[in-house]
Amino acid sequence: MATATKADVKKWPNNKEEYELHHVIGAGATAIVQSAYCIPLKERCAIKRINLEKCNTTPEELGKEIHAMSQCNQENVVSYYTSFVVKDELWMVMQLCGGGSLLDIIKFRIKQGEKYRHGVIDEITLATVMKEVLKGLDYLHSTNQLHRDIKAGNILLSEDGSVLIGDFGVSAWLADSSTNSRGEKVRHTFVGTPCWMAPEVMEQVAGYTYKADIWSFGITAIELATGTAPYHKFPPMKVLMLTLQNDPPGLDTGVTDKEQYKAYSKDRDHIRKYLLSDLSHVQQAKPKRVPGSSGRLHKTEGGTWEFSDDEMDKNSEEGKLACNDESRTPRVKEASPVEEEETAAPVPEAAPAVGSTPLNFVLRLRNTKGELNDIKFEFTRGQDTADSISRELVEADLVDGKDMIVVAANLQKLLDSDENTKNVTFALNSTGNVNEKQDEKALHGFAQLSLLD
Amino acid sequence: MPLFGKSKSNPELVRHLAENLQALRKAADSEKKLSKAQDEVSRTLQMIKNYICGSGEQEPQAEIVAQLCHELEATGGPGGMLRMMVENLHSVDFEAKKDVAQIFNKCLRRQIGARSPTVEHICSNPQVLFMLLKGYENQEIALSCGQMLRECARHEALARIILSSEEFYKLFSYVEMSTFDIASDAFSTFKELLTRSSYKMLIAEFLENNYEKVFEEHYQKLLNSENYVTKRQALKLLGELLLDRHNFSVMTRYISSAANLKLMMCLLREKSRNIQFEAFHVFKVFVANPSKPKPILDILLRNQEKLVDFLSKFHTDRADDEQFNDEKAYLIKQIKELRELKPGAEDE
Repeated sequence: MATATKADVKKWPNNKEEYELHHVIGAGATAIVQSAYCIPLKERCAIKRINLEKCNTTPEELGKEIHAMSQCNQENVVSYYTSFVVKDELWMVMQLCGGGSLLDIIKFRIKQGEKYRHGVIDEITLATVMKEVLKGLDYLHSTNQLHRDIKAGNILLSEDGSVLIGDFGVSAWLADSSTNSRGEKVRHTFVGTPCWMAPEVMEQVAGYTYKADIWSFGITAIELATGTAPYHKFPPMKVLMLTLQNDPPGLDTGVTDKEQYKAYSKDRDHIRKYLLSDLSHVQQAKPKRVPGSSGRLHKTEGGTWEFSDDEMDKNSEEGKLACNDESRTPRVKEASPVEEEETAAPVPEAAPAVGSTPLNFVLRLRNTKGELNDIKFEFTRGQDTADSISRELVEADLVDGKDMIVVAANLQKLLDSDENTKNVTFALNSTGNVNEKQDEKALHGFAQLSLLD
Repeated sequence: MPLFGKSKSNPELVRHLAENLQALRKAADSEKKLSKAQDEVSRTLQMIKNYICGSGEQEPQAEIVAQLCHELEATGGPGGMLRMMVENLHSVDFEAKKDVAQIFNKCLRRQIGARSPTVEHICSNPQVLFMLLKGYENQEIALSCGQMLRECARHEALARIILSSEEFYKLFSYVEMSTFDIASDAFSTFKELLTRSSYKMLIAEFLENNYEKVFEEHYQKLLNSENYVTKRQALKLLGELLLDRHNFSVMTRYISSAANLKLMMCLLREKSRNIQFEAFHVFKVFVANPSKPKPILDILLRNQEKLVDFLSKFHTDRADDEQFNDEKAYLIKQIKELRELKPGAEDE
């Protein structure tokens, strides 16, 4: 059995002293990959050093990704050996792929110019390599995992010529480190672009299955032949549109000279038909679970991604907003009949005497079910404090404990402000991390505190 | 080598697994026998897994799932095959370990009406839980055990058993293990047991009744850990625990301790910004306490100026974090306005 070999026998040390670090293989904003030598095992390896202080991914999420990686043991998937913490860095020890990535090879050949105009990697080589990739993918899929980032930059070669799928799961937090395996300045053209992404992944509606990887696999095949992914020259939003609107791209997509890639399979139409015969399933893909991922687009440093998200959900979001506004109006009326006693609330600075008239506040926020609630309470200067009131609200289960301080802070803000400020709207901590849309107007993830006259 | 087809009945399949798991132990001296038993175990496990979890496009059939799960519990003595599979986990091969975890978890999720038969089964055979916990000590099976243990931790009845055991406290050392993925897995289990929303009352009761042991004896060590990740995660979790309204009495107790306040003030000045930030979210609870005990008030007063100065310069680049800035401004104001309870408190 080919599987029961490596990890069982060798014990990779969890101590930085037992590794010699060599040259840098790739570098990203928050991580670098170095080739290394494990002294006690007398074996070479690659070490990815992730800076946990700078990295936006929490250690918890990283743990999940590495967990997924450690559950893989197949000759076409880069092996994970161990990981440990060194000061504020996470060191991941992995199999060394000394041959670099297929993207490196593409770039190297393109630099040589005209010679590769009719195809960067010839069909036989391409098929040979992709067959290995397919074996690796098949393994991942059989263990219920998706790769989510198949592209030439993530297909690595070891020194003995074997083909390995790399950066499995890691890609989400290392969008740019895999593009270069030679330590040269990394070109950021591909980073975070959705060129390889399947339409159902972009749509984010129904979730997606392993078929999304097969889409990326197809795009990668085109990339190997032509040197680039089909819509590579367009900005991300445009790529999303083209992918969603057009038929699946092919070798000739965007190519003016129809003869350019004629050396590739005469039987192309057949392959195409065969690959796409099952396309109906792609659209209605079931949301099968992907370890540790929310199925979102890649996070990039510049955050160029998030907007495509919003753009897509705009309609539904607007719809939500609309109905919220409707449902809010009657509530406002309910809350409004407060008798007019004196026109203005007492001026804060002037009147803080014990026994002064209580101030009436309304805190409007959504409960755990997402329904808007108005919470009315009194505040007597000299008797109540912002702390004590907000603590009561938490104890009564009206406010989430995580929001205790922020509610107190805004209550205090209102108490200290001049008489013209009657309400504040502020963001809440409790909903901050949930995937829910944040919306200040509709009070999604926000609360509004008002002082009634 | 006997290759059984689908004709093999489910009880036979499970019995076959039991026999070969036993053979695994006996055959330890003969490599040939061992590998034969191992192959048989792998194959049988895979078949059982495909039956009860489905494979590829094939969905599992409810009837077969029910029968197999039942057989797995009934076969193999106390604790059934669930125990036996976990017990022999270290001697099965890589893929088989994963299959065991999948089969185990699927059984656990099984429901008949409102009942969870497998949960009941483990309740009366709780040794399986402790075997799983101990699994964290063995690198090769740690993650598979963790996966199963976390599935157990979803059920209140099983969580209760773990929380009320002495073994629970081992998790405090497991979360500090040197292998990151194991430590991180142990931490997820630890966190699940202390924050799972379906049994908040149980957790609150546990934390209250074991306050000294949990916080003073063990949790303290995590906050002082040499390991950056342990420290950061423990601090974050502490903030979450304290600000959960179910844990109010625990919070009140925690924020009445001068030692805890001092620790947070030190952590505020850690080199790591992430740790500083998490410490802030615990520190704020001390300051926003409407009824601060004298020792706490004294510390805050003694450091009044320094704290105001420190907080004014604290993480000023987080301009777009509205909540944080509101909270920080509030803390600064609260600290500025602190007054001694009675005149004549000691000064430094």
